[in-house]
Amino acid sequence: MKYIKILIISVLLTGLVSCEKELDLQPQQSISIDAATATPENVNAILLEAYDIGRNTSPDNVAPLYFGLYSGQINIAIDLLGNTDQVSWNGTFSNLRDLFNKALINDNLSALNFYADSYAMIGHVNTVLANLDKFEDTSEQNRVEGEAKFLRGLIYFDMVRVFGQQYNPGGNNSQLGVPIVLLPPDVSRAVPRDTVEDVYAQVISDLTDAASLLPASNGARADRYAALAVLARVYLQQSNFAAARDAANEVLQDSGHTLTATYAEAFDTDDNPIETIFSWVVTVQEGTNESNTHYATQALGGRGGDIAVTQTYLDKFDTPTDQRRNFTYPGEGVSDGFTLTSKFARQFANATHIRIAEMHLIRAESNFRLGTSVGLPPLDEINALRARSSAPPLAALTLDLILNERELELAFEGFTLHDYKRTQRDIGGLSWDDNRLVFPIPQSARDRNPLLEQNPGYN
Amino acid sequence: MKVKLRLWAIALAICCFTTLQAQENTITGTVTDQAGVPLPGVNILVDGTTTGTQTDFDGNYAISAAQGQVLVFTYIGQRTQRVTVGAQNTINVQMQEDAQALDEVVVVGFGTQIKRKVTDNIAKIEADEIGGIATPSFQGALIGKAPGVQITQTNGKLDGGLNITIRGLSSVTASQQPLFVIDGIEMNNNNISSTTAPTNPLLALNPNDIASIDILKDASAAAIFGAKGTNGVVLITTKRGKQGKSSISLDVSTSYGEPSNTRDWLNAADYITLLEEAEANSGFLNSIGLTVDGLLQGFAGDQDFRNVDTDWQEFAFQDSYIQDVNLSVSGGNEKTKSFISGGYTDNEGIVRGNALQRYSVRANIDHKVNDWLNLGLNSSYSSTIIDRIANDNSFLTPMQAIAQIPTSPAFLSNGDINGNTLYANFLLQDRFSFRTTKQRRLLGKVFAEIKLLEKLRLQTELGYDYLNQTVDRNTGRLAPFQSTNGQTFASDDGAEIISTNNYLTYDTTFGEASNFTFVLGSNFTRFKNRTTSVTGDGFPTDDFKSVASAALISAGDGTFTNWAQLSYFARVTYDYAGKYLFKASIRRDGSSRFGAENQFGYFPAASAGWIISEEDFLSGSGTLSYLKLRGSWGINGNTPIANFGSLGLFGGASYNGESALEFTQGANPDLKWEETEQINFGLDFGFLNNRISGEIDYYKKKTKDLLFNTRVPFEALLPSHRVLQNVGNLENEGFEFSLNTTNIQTQNLSWKTNLNFAINKNKITNLPNGEDLITTRNILREGEPINSFYLIEYAGVDPANGDALYVLNTENPDGTLDKSTTNDPTAAERIVAGNPNPDVIAGLSSNFNYKGLDFSFTFQGQWGGQRYNNAGSFQETGLGNGLDNQDQIIFDRRWQNPGDITDVPQARLFVNNGHSESTRYMQDADFIRLRNVAIGYSLPQEVLERIGMSRIRIYVSGLNLLTFTDYRGYDPESSDDASISNTNSGTTFYSAPQARVYTLGLNLGF
Repeated sequence: MKYIKILIISVLLTGLVSCEKELDLQPQQSISIDAATATPENVNAILLEAYDIGRNTSPDNVAPLYFGLYSGQINIAIDLLGNTDQVSWNGTFSNLRDLFNKALINDNLSALNFYADSYAMIGHVNTVLANLDKFEDTSEQNRVEGEAKFLRGLIYFDMVRVFGQQYNPGGNNSQLGVPIVLLPPDVSRAVPRDTVEDVYAQVISDLTDAASLLPASNGARADRYAALAVLARVYLQQSNFAAARDAANEVLQDSGHTLTATYAEAFDTDDNPIETIFSWVVTVQEGTNESNTHYATQALGGRGGDIAVTQTYLDKFDTPTDQRRNFTYPGEGVSDGFTLTSKFARQFANATHIRIAEMHLIRAESNFRLGTSVGLPPLDEINALRARSSAPPLAALTLDLILNERELELAFEGFTLHDYKRTQRDIGGLSWDDNRLVFPIPQSARDRNPLLEQNPGYN
Repeated sequence: MKVKLRLWAIALAICCFTTLQAQENTITGTVTDQAGVPLPGVNILVDGTTTGTQTDFDGNYAISAAQGQVLVFTYIGQRTQRVTVGAQNTINVQMQEDAQALDEVVVVGFGTQIKRKVTDNIAKIEADEIGGIATPSFQGALIGKAPGVQITQTNGKLDGGLNITIRGLSSVTASQQPLFVIDGIEMNNNNISSTTAPTNPLLALNPNDIASIDILKDASAAAIFGAKGTNGVVLITTKRGKQGKSSISLDVSTSYGEPSNTRDWLNAADYITLLEEAEANSGFLNSIGLTVDGLLQGFAGDQDFRNVDTDWQEFAFQDSYIQDVNLSVSGGNEKTKSFISGGYTDNEGIVRGNALQRYSVRANIDHKVNDWLNLGLNSSYSSTIIDRIANDNSFLTPMQAIAQIPTSPAFLSNGDINGNTLYANFLLQDRFSFRTTKQRRLLGKVFAEIKLLEKLRLQTELGYDYLNQTVDRNTGRLAPFQSTNGQTFASDDGAEIISTNNYLTYDTTFGEASNFTFVLGSNFTRFKNRTTSVTGDGFPTDDFKSVASAALISAGDGTFTNWAQLSYFARVTYDYAGKYLFKASIRRDGSSRFGAENQFGYFPAASAGWIISEEDFLSGSGTLSYLKLRGSWGINGNTPIANFGSLGLFGGASYNGESALEFTQGANPDLKWEETEQINFGLDFGFLNNRISGEIDYYKKKTKDLLFNTRVPFEALLPSHRVLQNVGNLENEGFEFSLNTTNIQTQNLSWKTNLNFAINKNKITNLPNGEDLITTRNILREGEPINSFYLIEYAGVDPANGDALYVLNTENPDGTLDKSTTNDPTAAERIVAGNPNPDVIAGLSSNFNYKGLDFSFTFQGQWGGQRYNNAGSFQETGLGNGLDNQDQIIFDRRWQNPGDITDVPQARLFVNNGHSESTRYMQDADFIRLRNVAIGYSLPQEVLERIGMSRIRIYVSGLNLLTFTDYRGYDPESSDDASISNTNSGTTFYSAPQARVYTLGLNLGF
């Protein structure tokens, strides 16, 4: 009996001693930072995550949270803030309603998410750029560096346009933009805002590098022409018409992208039509098309038609048979009685970032302003674009007609606010440079980093 | 069987015969109480016979008994006395006050202790206090029973999560819930809800199987649970078999439930009036070419909106019916004892579409192998099936129907559901979709108790807790927001805890009066969780609901995670002369959740007590019967929740079908537990033979190394812009008071009352960099209570123009706040305006017994907390923020004409006049609630004996019958289950009130 008892105790004690190593557990769904940056494959995968964040809306609040910045939310914000009469807001989201009413509060959710997600993307991009030495294959290294710089240039360009006052072509852009961060994540970093001048310089530097590093074709990811197309957009915003024209011209001449045969074909596909220069991939499994969410009926996967097209917009067309005017459908439910755009009728369509029609409009406007005809005379170019949508040709061009043509062609694609600012046109009674047309630096960003100065007009 | 019966019969006959043979005498005497006063109505029984009598008014009795027989004297509230009949025929008995309440045994973790000798703060709740309360969870039955223990159900959904807060909140990001231990084994209390709305993982436990619950509240009591003890420990002990005749009990009840509160929303006529007025004031519709009539007709389907007056609230709620059946058998002999039970409950909730069914079985077996070995097995299995509805922040939850326009019909004239409502019509969701959650839970334990030496015992136990949850969700093609041809989601989530305890207990007495107990042991716990899920889209018809029939598998997931904890512990208890008490313990915990630099933590505790009433100078006191002074100190830990929170991590993601690596977590190798140091001073007292007894406690808990997902600058580029760190301190300080009185105690009538209340003051004392941490509208700020409301201050209405006004609260140059008002909400600064945690919680329970009648009730109360109605900026806006139907006060109290003095601004359609988040939507949430009340009648013993039963009791009871509150919302306790979290609390958002339930029940004993 005594021996049995001693045996029991011995067995238990032996069991206890061997337990300590059981505490050394490793996660199954994650790897360490060192492992994640160890191989070229992994660095490439980190780069892909920057794209992923851009079009991702986090399901069920699973952290990290993303907001679908580039699959609709930026464009929606720009069009709501930039419009008073061309769209109407029927939804319940107060951040979007406040944008439409030009009454942003300093913790507006759109502003906050714009700021937060942008830096989340930059975190991945900068990690990639700091680990380029992991690549042995130079062409692979160039491609990855080019894509990373493309994304970074694009993000800073979008940020500086909404968080800072419009770039002044006359120079002296000492108004504040956003902090430029070029190094990998660092928990102790807090930096102040850089000037609009400096941010634009960084944007142009990154995009120029990207254009020279990237291949002419790169699948669903950014290629040389995507970088040039965004550069054309940047130069146009700076009113650097010659550079804008030349960049757009190169895309038009060399990229192989052309207008689709009909206007509808540019939108009515889940994949990239020939017209699309760069898009953010959305599939049934991946990403959320936020434009669909807010522009489409419930039957088409949206919230019911939060944003509708007004008669005022339809009246801008000079001909009732213009395909672009008729690219709409009647709302139902929440949007019953309203007219909705067909541009975002497909729930799982890629989110188009830049398409060739815009390059035509940039080249035409730049040529017109400069009195040149690089690539094509401006009138011919505008009429070619109109012809695609069965709009009769214009007899002569004016700047107003070109700008109007931009609105007919590019409506709801995130242009109004920027176009009105660079052309110094009022928006619903607000002067183009009104403080209310600039986003606040989010309260949360300032809570975290006291070096961030608030924009005028916000507390 | 037959043979056995026959043997019994023979044995019985022999006994009777023997009795008859003995010489009977008449025994007489007087029975007095402790003070020598004669006691009338004392029961006297000759042991082993049916011969009995009672004392008369003067305490005298006479009974026939033979020499050698035993007389049993029983009286409620007094200790049972047994006197053997000797040569004398006069037996006078002095009864002793039953100090059972003080001699009761409490469970302390790795052992038990006599309450009288306990030096810590432990609240014990017995089975009879929680029986018969019509709530599916055992936690709900504890409400109001223990001082300093606040129990709040998220809202009126049956499956809603439950928060138990013991002595205030002690953590911000780690667990705020106590550790649950069932029969010595840690129980998984992780919320595994498939939606953002938490569910209660302990629903699986059948309340009828619980024998007692011991709540370890102070640090010294909880310290034996080390790194998980900060929030207190709830020790659940299940029922076990007793030696003796088998007893069978059958409990059946049926209940009807309804919402405990409904609210007044505008009817169609008032709504139209308000809408027309709002339009007249803003001209919004006119500006976009619409009219009020045109707008309303758009939501009326094929009916004329003028003829429609829909009460949407009626549709959100349903009549609730509950069936409950429990059967248990308990018994055993000297070697083997068993308790076997089965239970079934079928609950329909008060919110449409919400239902819960639970089947449960349990067998607890004890077997004595020989004189040094006892073996046992606990096993229980339950299956809980829950029909769940959408979370509160969804158009599809029934409660959001109250936002619909009253001129919008629920159904079209052909009976179809109206799909053209302002917000998606939840009735479509109700009819064309379902979300069924099934939880299967196996709880088991095998154990052995080995007597190694006379005074040395070894307890070894192996416990297993398996919680499996499957979710089947189907959304038919006609359900709102369903764009594909139907969608089905199916998931499987399995969580298991394997836990082993081995501990030695050495019990000895040395000298005259020294008692010494030493416990030394270890615990190893391993948790594993595996989940899989799949989503399929596109079904041939709505009849197909399984993933197999889907045209496209659109999403899938699979995860595995685990943690392990290894602990060693020791405890010594010493008492001298039954009046000087000491205890000390230490525990060493290692956890896989701690960072590499802090793998192990030590958690010491000590306590002492002095039973003053045992001292000579007090022992003679007639009024003071018991007085104990005690004090304790200890350190508890709170383990981080994240399993791998210390590691810097990248996780898998994808882009365009290619693998991506997402930076998901910044590293912190220094990560460790949160540490709480708590002192407790207590006084236990009893007066008048303990007819008045109670406890007073003072405590102070100081928590340091609070875990925070510290917000870092966005420019730091970290995942979620946060990193988990041990920074921050907070404090809880409070008093607890509990008073038990026996108001009346006679033979036929007894009336007892328990009053308890607790005051807790919480204060954040240190935050990362001293900065405020704001989650939506809850703020953590140094010097303020946890999760205070941070809002701009509403100042009412400008009588001149109907504008909503806010107090500026901007800082003046001299540091004071500018209290002038503005009509621009963006110009006003936020202030700490309140907080969701009550300052005072209280409970009052009372039991009356008169002959066979019993009557009991429990009130609960809370004072000093606020609630924020996040739906206020839709429900109380004067149609400024959408067309949502409005609270009646918006109509009744709205500003209409210059000079009107009111707090409801002028209605302006789609114009923000007062609907910014502000203190306008925050209210005091003080309340007193009649939590439960029951009246029962038990058949007298004579009748029962005639029909061969031991108990027949019929009762009616009510749950949440009355609520006294000035709070205008549905329920001062309900929270928004879509956003509720440690740092986002006290907010309601279309949250259902709790149910008011009427029950008719029957308890049978055989």
